[in-house]
Amino acid sequence: MIGILKSMSVTMSTFLRKPVTREYPEMHRELPERDRAFPILLWAAEDNEPFCTGCHACERACPVECMTVLMKDNPNHKSVGGESSRRKIIDKFWIDYARCMRCNICVEVCNFDAIAMNNTWGGHEKSVYDRADLVMDLPQLLSQSRSGELKPWVAP
Amino acid sequence: MRGSFAGIEMNIWLDGLIRVLLIVGVMTVVVMGLIYIERKVLARFQMRLGPTRTGPVGLLQSVADALKLVAKEDFRPAKADPWVFEFAPYFVFVPIFLMFVAIPFTLGWQIRVLDLGLFYLLAVSSVNIVGWVMAGWSSDNRYAMLGALRAVAQAISYELPLVMSVIAVAMVANSLNLNEIVRDQAVVPNIVWQPLPFFIFFVAMLAELNRPPFDISVGESEMVGGPYVEYSGIRWSMFFLAEYAAMFILSLLVAAVFLGGGAWPFGEELGPLWQLLLTAIKASLVMFVIFWVRATVPRLRIDQLMSFSWKVLLPVAFAQIVVNGLILVYEMPNAATNVLLALTSGAGVVFVGWVINRNINRPRPRPVLLNRAAVAAAAGARSEAAR
Repeated sequence: MIGILKSMSVTMSTFLRKPVTREYPEMHRELPERDRAFPILLWAAEDNEPFCTGCHACERACPVECMTVLMKDNPNHKSVGGESSRRKIIDKFWIDYARCMRCNICVEVCNFDAIAMNNTWGGHEKSVYDRADLVMDLPQLLSQSRSGELKPWVAP
Repeated sequence: MRGSFAGIEMNIWLDGLIRVLLIVGVMTVVVMGLIYIERKVLARFQMRLGPTRTGPVGLLQSVADALKLVAKEDFRPAKADPWVFEFAPYFVFVPIFLMFVAIPFTLGWQIRVLDLGLFYLLAVSSVNIVGWVMAGWSSDNRYAMLGALRAVAQAISYELPLVMSVIAVAMVANSLNLNEIVRDQAVVPNIVWQPLPFFIFFVAMLAELNRPPFDISVGESEMVGGPYVEYSGIRWSMFFLAEYAAMFILSLLVAAVFLGGGAWPFGEELGPLWQLLLTAIKASLVMFVIFWVRATVPRLRIDQLMSFSWKVLLPVAFAQIVVNGLILVYEMPNAATNVLLALTSGAGVVFVGWVINRNINRPRPRPVLLNRAAVAAAAGARSEAAR
């Protein structure tokens, strides 16, 4: 009987506590800065171009081969009268998010810190009706970094 | 013949029809509200939110559930007994609604004022057992049959302490008319003079309602729903409706018989609407405790259940009746009688609490798989012989 009364008081204390439920689609928990959603490309604001030089390091390292990279000569390079110090730059870039397993290897092998894991809710809420819509092209990959949505994060 | 409803003279059939419609309408709405409230309250006990998606704060959840249940197929197993199977829900459903007739909402206002109201309520409340047996027997399902038999065993066992505890209160109130019992409590509610019958009634009520921790007959994890296994759609919802309606009515009964109904603490001067509110608040408190117990106490085993009813509750209820009779027969001054009643009944509550406590904390005998001493002795004898 004493045990029952004790347990009743325990349940009453949980009754008076605030519910722990978060109503997800309306309420987003804040994500940690090193949250690992899908990889995206970073935007070099000072040069007004992507950091990526199209060196294929990430493409070669990718264990699931979800990336396709095409390189071109940078039209904004100093040798042709521009301001950028990048001789080569990314031409086209596709990442198939349906294949990507978010292993972070592309981020680790990148020599230019040009690719990062998305740490916003936009990186998680990627549901689409067609698998083909999960293949991201260059503007889509750059948009989050370009608009400043991405939280700056510290490498481990 | 002429009847009158709310002061208006009318044909007696029309009068009856209005009363029946009132019962059915009120009960359906109340049950839908109760299901929603139970889900919300239980969710808070588990630190969840409960239904939030349907309507503002999930208010329309019960409506959605009801629509779903009505739209579902009314399925009957091929080998089920068609008539018994189809009629079982009504046999559960109708007696519970009949109980509504004698419940005093305010002093002097109920569907019908019956002189033997308490007796009528207890008589009618046990008829729904027949419905369970019908459901279990006709379903052609072992779980249903077992569940029905458990439900019957449980309902019959707890019917007795339920009735006996109410009789003890009726002795003190000197009436079986619920109105009189409520009026009698204008100064002090019965729970003060008779805490033991209140405790017995509450526990037996949980068992009668098949509420946790006494829900072994419908427990999902062992009986997969008991007598209701084969039911779906509207018939299942009728069982459900009956269950919650019974909870509502018995809570009202507890409010009326033990907590003073509309009379305590303001007496009869209060308007009927305030009395109604007072009764509703008391009944809600009782229902909250029912939810609270559900959120706390795990399910009993059937042997614990039966022994608790027959070995603890029933003897104690009889003892309470005998003691009440001894005290009341001497016709002492009112105060002395009341104090004696309260003391003996309170001692009874302590005694029951002690019995429960002792049984919960009793050391459990462990099964002995191997008698180690005997084995060692045999081994020693063998080695002696070998030497």
